[in-house]
Parts: sequence; structure tokens; C-alpha cells
Amino acid sequence: DGEAGADALGLDEELKVSRKRNPVAKLDEARLLSQAGIPKLRKTARTKLKFKGKGHEFSDAVRLLNLYQLWLDDLYPRAKFADGLTMIEKLGHSKRIQVMRREWIDEGKPKPLWSEGGI
Amino acid sequence: METDSGSQAQVVDPEVRAYIYSLLTALGGTGGSDTGQYVLGDDALACLRDIKKWLKFYDEKANRMDVARCLAEAELVNRDLLPILALYGDAAQDDKHKSRILLACLELLVPLTWPLEIHSQMTVNHHRHTPYLRHSQVMYKRGILGHGTSQILRAVIRIALPSVTIPRSERSSRDEGILKLMLYLFRNIAIITPSPHLAGEGDEEEASRSATITTFHRQDVFALLLTMCSNMGEDFTFQDVIILEILFHLVKGVDAKSLFSNDKQHGVMETNALQGILEKEDSVKREYSKNAPTRHNRFGTMIWVKRGEEKMSTVSGQDILKDERTALLKMDKTKKWNKPKGRRNDVDVSINNFNVPTTLTSSAAKHLRTFVGEFLDSGFNPLFTQLRKAIEREADRVTEATQRQFFYVISWFLEAERARRTQQKELRQRNQNARDIEPDSFGLVASVLNQETFIALSRWMQTFLDNKEWQDVNATMRCFTQILLTVQEMSASPLDEDQEIAENIQNRIFYEETTHDRILSILRNYKDQGFWYLDSCTELAYVFLRMLEQYSKQNVDMQVRSRRRGRRKKAAEAAKDQNNPEGGESESEADDTAEATRTAVERSFDFKRFAPKFCTQKSVNTFIAFTSFYRELNLEQLKRIHRFFYRVAFKQDLSVLLFRVDIISLFYKMIKGPDGLDPTKPIFREWEEFVRQIIKKLIKKLDQRPELIVEMLFSKINATVHYLEYGYEKQTVSSE
Repeated sequence: DGEAGADALGLDEELKVSRKRNPVAKLDEARLLSQAGIPKLRKTARTKLKFKGKGHEFSDAVRLLNLYQLWLDDLYPRAKFADGLTMIEKLGHSKRIQVMRREWIDEGKPKPLWSEGGI
Repeated sequence: METDSGSQAQVVDPEVRAYIYSLLTALGGTGGSDTGQYVLGDDALACLRDIKKWLKFYDEKANRMDVARCLAEAELVNRDLLPILALYGDAAQDDKHKSRILLACLELLVPLTWPLEIHSQMTVNHHRHTPYLRHSQVMYKRGILGHGTSQILRAVIRIALPSVTIPRSERSSRDEGILKLMLYLFRNIAIITPSPHLAGEGDEEEASRSATITTFHRQDVFALLLTMCSNMGEDFTFQDVIILEILFHLVKGVDAKSLFSNDKQHGVMETNALQGILEKEDSVKREYSKNAPTRHNRFGTMIWVKRGEEKMSTVSGQDILKDERTALLKMDKTKKWNKPKGRRNDVDVSINNFNVPTTLTSSAAKHLRTFVGEFLDSGFNPLFTQLRKAIEREADRVTEATQRQFFYVISWFLEAERARRTQQKELRQRNQNARDIEPDSFGLVASVLNQETFIALSRWMQTFLDNKEWQDVNATMRCFTQILLTVQEMSASPLDEDQEIAENIQNRIFYEETTHDRILSILRNYKDQGFWYLDSCTELAYVFLRMLEQYSKQNVDMQVRSRRRGRRKKAAEAAKDQNNPEGGESESEADDTAEATRTAVERSFDFKRFAPKFCTQKSVNTFIAFTSFYRELNLEQLKRIHRFFYRVAFKQDLSVLLFRVDIISLFYKMIKGPDGLDPTKPIFREWEEFVRQIIKKLIKKLDQRPELIVEMLFSKINATVHYLEYGYEKQTVSSE
């Protein structure tokens, strides 16, 4: 009786402690589309990004590049700037992101009459 | 000695070694006389033949390399064969015994110097012996080229001379065999190079390309090759492929352009080169000192980078105080993780790799220049006509590497011919008196500017592409580029006849639309084939596009043969009557018929409609991949990229394709550093202006269309490019 009870409780089985590796965070569609992803990029670009314009091309480029780099560092701190850009570019080929890209572009469009039926 | 032979016994079967060594002892030696002259053993000829049999029936049959290894360790070549050749080299040709011994030596030299390639069917034995044998082959080569008392190669020629002089119809197969042996020896000599992986012994020079060329010149190998080439197809036929190989291994990697710069100019160029290198080093140092710490390395500096949302990052080091960009770059640098890169396999280790640049000593360059000039004058046309026919016929002697060598050598000699013409032109301009010397026509290279060659070229190009033989594709691309450039020069020739022919050739080349499409697809479908491939494909595309533009401007009613299938049109028609319930069926039917009758339609060519095909995201990517090597590119290459991007951004109005963060970041880095282009170079100004214009346009666009901030992360979709550029949709959606 006692033995059966021990079996049922699983007392005799050896306890297996398997230490799983923590999953490495991935830069994937979900992360890119999350709040810290492209929505944030669009917001900061709207509010923070100010260009000096003519005659300051290179300093404007620095502003732009820095914006992207800091954004990417927040989004996915693991990757270097260039690596992160390559990864995101690759994600851009996926169906879901492409649909989203269309949407973002269409948001900015001045709603012409024929735009709905086009594609 | 005891321990020595004991350890060696493990490498080679001791019994084999014993047999070989006893043969070598019986062959002869220098010890026997007071003069130090080599004395042949009584049965020397039989010994030589036995050794040959060992090589053939033990090494070859059993697929081992033991005998070759023993011979290498005993230094058969340098201790016996070369002294024998030196001893009897001047012997009268009618002494049968001596000439037999000489021939037997040659018969041993050829297999011993045969190139050792790494291949997939290597056994343990191969892996064990190849490095040793390669090293000893270099020693053989040094011995052959730099033999103290006599000229070995000349002696070899003398062995074969009786067979050379016999007319082809009367030549026996033995004579042909002797010719082959001689040429194979020259080829082997040309191929053997000191391995870059072995520790140098300080005298690699003696086995270098320069040494080969100088010896070939001194011992009349070049003269023999010229004779054979100019009589190719008449007195000589089967030798074409071997001669091609010899030429290939002599000229591969040599810069044809600098070979034909005048001597005086050459001197100037060399000092300029030195000056250039010193300046470059200076600018590197300057660049470093700009960012170098001004205080000692424990002068701890740390700053915060404010990054919005109340967040801070810390970066340390003094260099970061300069500006914000440096601080951010440093932040990036300290990250430990790297995106895993796919394995790179663009390094071709075979002996048929022609991408490694070689430099020649000035005397070797002079000899090669003389040879190349004479070859172009007399041997080029016969040899290449013969070779083309052999390749078309798929003759037995044509090997796997022949096509690659064929196309590469053509491209090399065409470039050399153009360089020679420029040199001659300069000479003419300098001495006004000599102006009545008529410029030569392009007849000297006519054999590769005919329709047959173009057909062969495009056929092989397609085959190599289909088989993914990138090095071979590379060779055909170079060949095509050089043909185009030669034709371009021809059309600018003062001779009417040349112009007419050039016109004709251009017409033929541009007539086939498949050619256009192939070049486009090569450019677009680049993927990790490596730097040299990039260089060739961008150059070909650039040259092709430029010439096509010119040609179509001059010939307004230019026609091309288009092999488009009627599919697309029919599909569109079928799509129109979708209401028709049978629409789907009729569509597939239409497809079938279109497939069956591939129509070749002649249609007029419109460059305006063609040019945008070159400016797509994929070709931009290819050029960007090439641009990322900007530190190693020369003036001509930087110009090529600059013109391409200029065309994309300002001629085709597709600058949107360049608005991608990585591209902008690369452009910015090229101009503003760190590790940017050298600002003292004139090409830097052009690039700076271009990048400025691009950024200007980008900033403007960002103001107009804020959605671009997201699109800058991605390659653009065809459908949205037009909207982003102009702000409205294209009426008809074009498909790729």
C-alpha cells in the first residue's frame, strides 16, 4: 500500500533538473511591429527630428543616422548598427511587413478619388 | 642516418624506397672523377626507363605518390637529370644513344613537374605527399631555370627540334609525342609557383614569374612559341591547347595596361606609385592622429549620452569627446555580438585562378612586352581561330579549363593590344616627323571579333551561368568587356574601314535582345561571388550600357531581335474577360500555345525604356556591395560606381532606391570617415558633391513625405517607388 502510494506521488522518481538556456531575444516581425518598433520610430521622427536644411547636408545626415542608431539600440541592443539594419531589411521582404508598409504609406497619401480601387 | 631512414620508412614503403635508391645509384654520379663532371652509369638508359616504369606502374596505377616522394627526397632532378641534360645538351643530334638518354630525362621531368591539384578524390597518400612534393617542385623549377653552367630549356628545345622541323604530314606519332612532352614541360614550369603557405627560404625570386619570363626569353622558348603560334593550323594543330595553357599561366594576373606604358613613363609611374603609397600612408596616419588620444591611456574619460525618455548611456575614452557621431560609433563598436555570416567561398585555390595580381621586375616586363607585341603581330589570329574551332568541335584535347583560359587570354591580349595602340599613338604624337606612319588596322585581332566568336562567347556565358561556374562566368565577362572596349576604340579609328567594321560588329552585338537580358540578369543576381566577380560584372554592365546608349543615339531606328513569349499579353487579355466562365481554361490554353511558339520578333529598340531596367533595387544592391570595398578600389572603379549612382539618382530619377539607411550610412562614411576616401584625391570631390546632392534630396523628400522614415529601412517595393519619388501613383502598375 505504502509503496503504491509512493509511486502515485512519484517520490521514487529522480528529480531531473534541466537547466534550459534562456531563449535569445530575436529581432523578428513581432518586435519590429511592437510599440518600441516602427511606431516609436515614426513618433520620434515626427517630434524630435529637425533638419537645418540647405548647406548643412552632412550634419543633417548625422542627425538622421543617430536617430536610427539610437532607435535600433533601444529596440534590439544586441546587434550592431549595420547588422541590425541588415536584419530589418530582410524582414521587409515578408508579407506581413509589406502589408504594413503599404498601410503606412497610404496613411500619408492625400486620399485621391481613384486610390481605393487601384490594387 | 639510422634514425632518419627509420622515420622515413613510415611514410613510404621501405621496399619501394630500396628499389628506387638502387636504381638511382646505378644511374650515375659526380663522385667518380676528379673533374667533378657527371659520369653516367653503364646502364643509365635502362635505369631511366626503369624509373619511368616505377612512376607509371606503381604511382599511377596504384594511385600513390610514393615513388615521386622517393625521387624528391633523393633529389633526382637536381642531382642527376639536370647534370645529364647539361652534359649532353650540346651533343650532336645524330648520336642515337645520347639523344635517347636525353629524351628519357625529359620523359621523367614532365611527370615530376606535373601540377599537383587539390581534388576530391585524394587518398591519404596524396594528402601526405602533396605538400612535400609541391615544395620540391619549386626546387626543380629553380634548378631548371637557374642551372649554373648550361641552359636546360634550350637543351630541351634541341631534343624536340628534329620533330619540330618535320612537316606535319610526315610527323610520326612519336614526333608528336616529343612535341607534347616539350610543351608540357614549359607549361609545368610556368605553373609551378612558390607556395605562399610554406615558410620562405629567401630565394622565391628564383622561381617567380619574372624568373620564368626572363629564362623563357633568354633560352628562346618565346621564339619557339611564336613560331608554333604563327604556323598554327598549318604545321601545328594539336599543340594549340597546351600553348594556350602556357600563355594563360604566363600572363594571368599581369596588368596589361602598365606593361605597355613607355619605359620613361614607367619610371615616372613607379616613382608616382611610391609617392602615392607614401601619401596614402601619411593620410592614414593623419586620420589616426585625428582620433588618437592626446593623453595617456589611463586618463579615464567617461561621458553620458542622453537618449531621450530619461535614458542615458555611458561611453568611455577621450576620442568620444569630439562629437556625437563618434560617441555613437564607439557605443556600437563595443557590442560583442556579431551577426553570423554565411560561409564565404569566393577564394579559388586552383591553379587556374587568374584574379591574383602579379608584379614583374622591369626586365621581365620588358621581355614579356616584346613577346606580347610579336605574338599579337603574328600568332594571335592563327592560334585563336584554331582554338575556337577545337572548342566548338569539342576535340579530345580540350580540357575542362580550356574555355576559361581561352576567354581570359583573349581578354588579356585585347587589353594589351589597346594599351599598345595608345602607346604607339603617344609615340606618334611626340615625334611629329613620324606622323606619316599609318596607324595599324585592327586586323591583328580580327579573329576574335567575328560572329562565330560572339556566338561561342554568349553560348558559354549562358552555360557557365546555368552551371554556376562563377570563375568561368567571370572570364567570359572580362572577354566580353574587352571586346566591347576594342570595338569602341575601333569606331573611333581614323580608318574608314575600321569604322565600318565596328559599326557592323556593334549592330550584331546589340541585335540580340537575349544578350541585353543576360547582362542585366548577371548584374541583378549577384550573390556572394566575391570581389573579382563584382568588379567584372559591374564593369561589363557599365560599359555595355554606355555603348548601347551611344549606339542607339546614333542609330535612331535600331532594331533588336526579341524572343519574348507572347504569354504576358495573352494573360492580360484573358484576365480582361474574367466574366467569361471559361476564362481560366482559355488562359492556360493561350499559355500553352505561347510556350510552343516562341516567337522571334524584330522590334525597334528604345533606350529610354531600356535604361530603367538597369536601375533597379537589385542592381543598386550589387553596386553597393562593390562600393563597400571603396578603400581598395582604384580611380577607374570609383568613377564607374559614381556614374552608375549618378545615373540612378539624377538621370532616371530613382534616387528613392538609394534612400536606405545602410546606403546613406555607407556614403556618409566614405566622405566623412572614419576610414573614408582619401580627401586629397580628385575623385573625392566628385563623390563628396554627389553624396551632398543625395542627402539634400533625401532631406527634402523626408519633409515632403514623412512615411519615408519607415521606408528607409527597407528595399523599396516596385509599386511604391513611383509614389515615393513623385507623390502620386503611376497610372499603370508595372510588373517586374
